[in-house]
Order: sequence, then C-alpha cells, then structure tokens
Amino acid sequence: MNDSKVTPGRNVFRCAVSVLIALVLLFPMLWMLNTSLKTEAEIFQNPPTLYPHTLNLKSYIAQIETGDFNMFRSFLNSLIISLGSMLIAVLLAVPASYAIARYRFKGHKSVLLGFLVTQMLPVSVLLTPMFIMFRNMHLYNTWGAPILADATIGIPFSVLILKNYFASIPRDLEEAAYIDGCRRFSAFLRILVPVAKPGVAVCAIFSFLYAWGDLAYGMTFILEQPMRPITAGIFNFMGQYGTKWSYLSAFAVVSMIPVAIIFIFMQKYIITGMTAGAVKG
Amino acid sequence: MNRIKAFFRHDNIGLLFALPAVVYMLVFVGYPIVHNIILGFQDVDVMNFLRGKKNFIGFENYAQLFHDEVFFKSVANTFVFTVSCLVFQFLIGFALAMFFNKKFSFAKPVRGILMMPWMIPMTVTALMFKFMFSTKVGVVNNILTGLGIVSENIEWLTDQGIAMIPVIITNIWIGIPFNMILISTGLTSIPGELYESASIDGAGPFQQFTRITLPLMRSTIESILVLGFIYTFKVYDLVYVMTSGGPVNATQLMSTYSYKLSFDNFLYSKGSAVANVLLVILLLVGIVYLRITSRGEAAYE
Repeated sequence: MNDSKVTPGRNVFRCAVSVLIALVLLFPMLWMLNTSLKTEAEIFQNPPTLYPHTLNLKSYIAQIETGDFNMFRSFLNSLIISLGSMLIAVLLAVPASYAIARYRFKGHKSVLLGFLVTQMLPVSVLLTPMFIMFRNMHLYNTWGAPILADATIGIPFSVLILKNYFASIPRDLEEAAYIDGCRRFSAFLRILVPVAKPGVAVCAIFSFLYAWGDLAYGMTFILEQPMRPITAGIFNFMGQYGTKWSYLSAFAVVSMIPVAIIFIFMQKYIITGMTAGAVKG
Repeated sequence: MNRIKAFFRHDNIGLLFALPAVVYMLVFVGYPIVHNIILGFQDVDVMNFLRGKKNFIGFENYAQLFHDEVFFKSVANTFVFTVSCLVFQFLIGFALAMFFNKKFSFAKPVRGILMMPWMIPMTVTALMFKFMFSTKVGVVNNILTGLGIVSENIEWLTDQGIAMIPVIITNIWIGIPFNMILISTGLTSIPGELYESASIDGAGPFQQFTRITLPLMRSTIESILVLGFIYTFKVYDLVYVMTSGGPVNATQLMSTYSYKLSFDNFLYSKGSAVANVLLVILLLVGIVYLRITSRGEAAYE
C-alpha cells in the first residue's frame, strides 16, 4: 500500500509467503487430484502418500466403459444445461441492461429493484413451485427444466453488471449512429453491444458457472441418472458408493475441468465479475 | 395505435428492451414466489400434489412449525453457521487482502489463483471436505494423529456435537476469496498519500490501520458483511451433500430442512412454510443492504 520501493530481498520473501498461502488454501483441490490418481489401496494408507506412488488412471477409464454413472455423459449433460442457460441469460440480459442504463422508462426503479432482490432469493423458495410448473409444462426429466431454472440466477446478475458497462459508453457514440441513419435497435446491436463486449463476456462466464455449479435444480427436476448434470451425478454416486474415493475424486476432478479452462483463459473477467457484481449491486 | 406509438417514443422505448427479461423473471421467479406463499397456507402433500383438492388451512403449517423442535434447531443452526462463517471468512479475507495489496511480483497472479475455491461447484467442495474430514481415511485425522495432537481419530461428521465444525470450515473456505477480492478493491481505492502523510506525522502501522483504513473502508465492510450474510444464510447444496443435515439434525439448516420436508417427506406445504420464513429473514436483511448501498451511492454522487 504505502511502500513504493520494495527491496529484492523483501520481494522474494513476500513471493515465498504468497506461494505458501496458495498451497495451504488450495490444498483440498490438490489433494483431490492426488487421490484420483492413486489406487484404492494407496488411498487407505496411513500416513498418506504425498503423491501417487503407483499411477492409477483406472478411476477415469472405468467411467468411460461402465454405463450407470458415466461421468463423461454427466459432463456432457452439464455442458448442454450450462450453455443453454448461459445463452438465455445473455440474450435477455443484454437488451434489458441497456434499457436500464439508458432510458428512464415507466417502472424503471421497480424493475431494477426486482433484479436486485431476485439475487438474494434462496433456492428453497422456488423449488417446489418450479417443480410443479415444470411438471405441468412437461419439462420434468428433461434438460429444459434446469436450463430455464438456472437462467434465473444468470439473468439478474448479468443485468446488474452490464448496466454499468452500458452506462459508461458515451452517448455521442449512439447519437452518431442515429445520424448515420441507424434505427434504435440496429444502433444497439451494431454499435453498443460490440463496445460492451468485455461486460458480455463476464456475464456469459458467470451465467455458465452458476449453472455448472447448480445441484438443487438439476437434482430435483431430473430424476433419471443418464440425463442428470455432473453435480447431481456426483451426489448420486456418493449415495451409492459412498467410500469409493478413487472414483469419486476422479468424478470431482472432471467436473472442475471447465472451471480450470475458464480460469486459465479468462481470469481477468472473473475478478471484474466478482467485484462489479457485489459492491455496486 | 398512435397512442401506443407516442407512449414508446421517448424513454419508454426502454420498456421494449427490458420486456423479455422482465417477463421471464416474472414467469420463472415471480410466479413461483407467489405460489410458494400460497402453498404455505395449503395442505399439499404427496396425496394431492398433482391432482385433487388443495385445502386452505390458514396458518396451520406455521403453527405446526412453532411446535417443531427440528425447525427451531434449524433456525438456531442457520444463525450459528452464518455468523461463524461470516466472522472467519471476513477476518481471513481481510488479512489476505492486506497482504496481497503489498507490492511484490507474485501479488496479482497468486491472488488470481486463490479465486478458484469460489468458482468450483459447491457439490465438489462438499465432496472434497467430506473426504478430508472422514474418520478413517481423512487427511485431517491423519495429520492430527501423526503430529500427536490427538490420540484417536475424531468422528468429525458423525459426532452430533462437532459435525457443525467441518461444515463451517468448508463454507469459510468458499467465502475467503469473495471477501478477499472485495476488500482488496476497497483498499486500492484509499489514496496512498493519506498513509504517507500519516507516517510523516508519526503514526505507526497499527494507528494507520485503525485511523485510516478502517474508517475509509466502513461502507465497503458493511456491504460485504450484509451480502455475505445473505449468501451464507441461504446455503443449501454444501450442507446437503456433506451431511444432509445430520447426524440427527445436528447440521440441519433452514434450507436443508425445507428441502427435506418437501422432497424427502413429501410434505410440500410444510416445506414451503419453512422456505417462506427463510425468505422473510433474507428480505429483512436485504432491505438493510439496499439502505447501505443507496447511502453509499448518494455519498458518491
């Protein structure tokens, strides 16, 4: 904060401390990866081994072959559900956030308040009524139900983030487009949306992650294991083979793949999203 | 027709842009909330869930909750869980934010990596910690017995008296990145000159912290705590996967109890009633949050 000059010695010391902190905090994830590569016998060793002495990929391979709890199938289900709900969230949130940022229409305040409040809702309040609704819509036991339900988390978040992006775009840009003969909607599509791209990326990432991490909706609205998302698959698997830690940890590692990919390639968006979403609200 | 056109001519055209999202939220969130409130006043269970007459029984469900020990236990647990998580994730997050706001080469990349726990599915987090806290193969017990701190394996998740501890620790782990990053942003917004002039005036690090950092961070801290309260108070997946509320309701939260009533015992109306109580508490806290943020924005403008 107030130390503008850092001596090389102090720099190295701080770097070392930060790595130590990271190792301690991320230990659970490293431990899971470690466990997924061990044999069942090695997992039960005490004291535990710090790395797999015999590398065992069976926990991953067995999942491709056997039917019941095929984690790659669950992975695919999760991917479809998350992408679907991401698409809905972005498509609806982009125009809505533009409207909130730019126009003082009738009911402006209550719309904004509505999005704020929905972010605070507990999933328990929505589960039973949604369950009944999706049954009536014949969406029970289909991907449609969790897709529609998960988007209700992504939409308010995206609207609240994107409205700040649209508000920061100078009005001149829009007016220049009108002069060139653009209609409002095409000006919005051709001029404003491209400028707000980083914001849209943040929304897409978070809508995806919310859906990817969801358990309650996927578990409640889909009962058939082959259709279930990966989180519900893991939960089911725990119920049936509670102590088969080699398979369970492999399952967990696979479910973290998209998170890791997003993290590696789009890290800057994540920090923007976390801060913008919360403080400003 | 002209009237409609006139209505949408100026600012009201915004309504057209906002309409799809608003309608979507009304259908998939607004309607379910209303329905849930109605369910709370009905007698819906597995018998009349899909077909059949649903009777209005007034406040009967809520009256039953008042005589339900498990419900009171779940309310108490939810508060214990929320407050403990809040205190520790905030303090640890604050300390880490202070550290990572110092200048060193790894500050940004390592702080970025620490966001991971917040991003991975809660189900996976629950699984990881359940494994780490398991009695026989758990690495926590391995370490504790290996170092000679305890002589026998502790039954972390099966002992009623202590099962809440691992659950709280797990949720703190998830909450640390969130707190750290928000506090970190708040800290960067404090102008460095303040600290410089303070140290010229002879203020030590502790005094700088209590006289400059804390007062200037007040509104950030308030909104982090209230928002953290809301997010923690409604946690569901984590506890459901780790303990399902057990052993013997020792970790039963309002959210998990509501789910259990509705989808394990098929007492849909009773489950809805519990969810409604949860909702009312959250809305009250939500009002506090809106007050704080609108006050902050007013000061900012």
